[in-house]
Amino acid sequence: MIINHHVSGLMLLFTLGMGLLLTLLPLPEALAAARPAFYPATVLFWVLMQPLRFGLIAAWVCGILIDVLYGTPFAEHGLALAVAAYLVVQMRELLWSFPLWQQSLLMTPAIVAYEFVLFWIDGVAGAEVNQWWRWLPVLTTLLIWPFWAFLLERIAEFEVG
Amino acid sequence: MRGFADDEDNKGPLLGRRVSPGIKIVAIAIVSVVLMMVDNAHDALAPVRGTLAIALQPVQIAAEMPGDVADYLGRYFNRGELIEDNEALNRRVLLLRARLQRLAALEAENERIRALLASASSLDQNVLIARVLSVTPDPYRHRIKLNKGSSDGVFKGQALIDANGIMGQVTDVTPLDSRAILITDANHGIPVEINRTGLQTIAQGTGRSDELRLPFLANNADVQSGDLLVSSGLGGRYPAGYPVGRVEHVDHKPGDEFLDVVAEPTAHLNRGREVLLVWTSDTARKADQPPADESAAGDADDAGATENRANGADAGSDAR
Repeated sequence: MIINHHVSGLMLLFTLGMGLLLTLLPLPEALAAARPAFYPATVLFWVLMQPLRFGLIAAWVCGILIDVLYGTPFAEHGLALAVAAYLVVQMRELLWSFPLWQQSLLMTPAIVAYEFVLFWIDGVAGAEVNQWWRWLPVLTTLLIWPFWAFLLERIAEFEVG
Repeated sequence: MRGFADDEDNKGPLLGRRVSPGIKIVAIAIVSVVLMMVDNAHDALAPVRGTLAIALQPVQIAAEMPGDVADYLGRYFNRGELIEDNEALNRRVLLLRARLQRLAALEAENERIRALLASASSLDQNVLIARVLSVTPDPYRHRIKLNKGSSDGVFKGQALIDANGIMGQVTDVTPLDSRAILITDANHGIPVEINRTGLQTIAQGTGRSDELRLPFLANNADVQSGDLLVSSGLGGRYPAGYPVGRVEHVDHKPGDEFLDVVAEPTAHLNRGREVLLVWTSDTARKADQPPADESAAGDADDAGATENRANGADAGSDAR
């Protein structure tokens, strides 16, 4: 397991960049609404797997990068990711004890919290879009989680051996 | 969220090497809310955003690469299509030119009549073609980034149109590029009038790129599907008289005080890579830069990037 190893900062940056790229890739509108949250999933993966190096503050800073790229209110995505990371931190021991494909279910609260905070802040800011497909990314993110986490783990193992 | 702070006491000292996540998340929440409020009210965070945006530029460029490459390859392989396109465009230019000749005369006449009425002339407008650099990947925000900035005379609040109607307005300007909000953004409203009746109202974005809503029409308002909405120019942001949308359906709900009216924007908001930035006669002054000459000079190299409505402007000054 990757938890017992020290993953280099470069590796973290590389995987985060990969997640960011998949988040930014232009997609047709219909697909974009259902786009899995690759980048948040990557951040949460490292919160889970590198508890000593990657905590709430790191998640918050990572979220702020999305705010910069999206032009959303400063720290909106930061807060959402920090809240999701908080839930992951609280459930760490539990999450560690399950295989990847079962982690998906346990990750549900964190991903829902992430989307909900965004939805909530948008609502307060008057940019509310209250449509059912707003919640599609929750489903798609949970679907890709086992594969994405598996991939990240293999990439990281490639480094630590 | 504040409640989470309670379970901090069984996890070691506050000032130890590790602060409990409960404390951290509360602190982060407070800082985030403050930052969001500051960001909303001032431009104080703009430099931070700018710096981070520059640092993230490589990722952004990489994300746009597949699309650009596909575009390029498409162009390479579709020569036949291009020739056909070119011919069609040439025919269209001819047609439009013919129409423009008549328009110039009409515009001059209009100007004369306006002068008689002692009202401000509003017809000489300049436009500058800008390229859409990127569309925000957030599906719930309709923002775009353009490749013209304050060095081209672009200013905050400037209107954006395409060949079919109003697209939106500029929200942030940096020297080399600018960001704009589209009229379909859930946070955007534009004053319009119904072309058929002259009825004034406001068209709000819905967050869907094919839908505008007119929430402030009384139940007995005269509006029917097919009505054209044009910008009314009230509020001073948008030039008057440009098409904004076409009413799609009108829903009478007995007992409700307002109609449920849905319109479709006429501008092609999610297609096309080029948009037009508009200077009207009074915004040109506000921007303290006469865009007619300056932008024409600045863009002389990319041929035809600046089109000031030469005919209209000339005819206008003749009339005066």
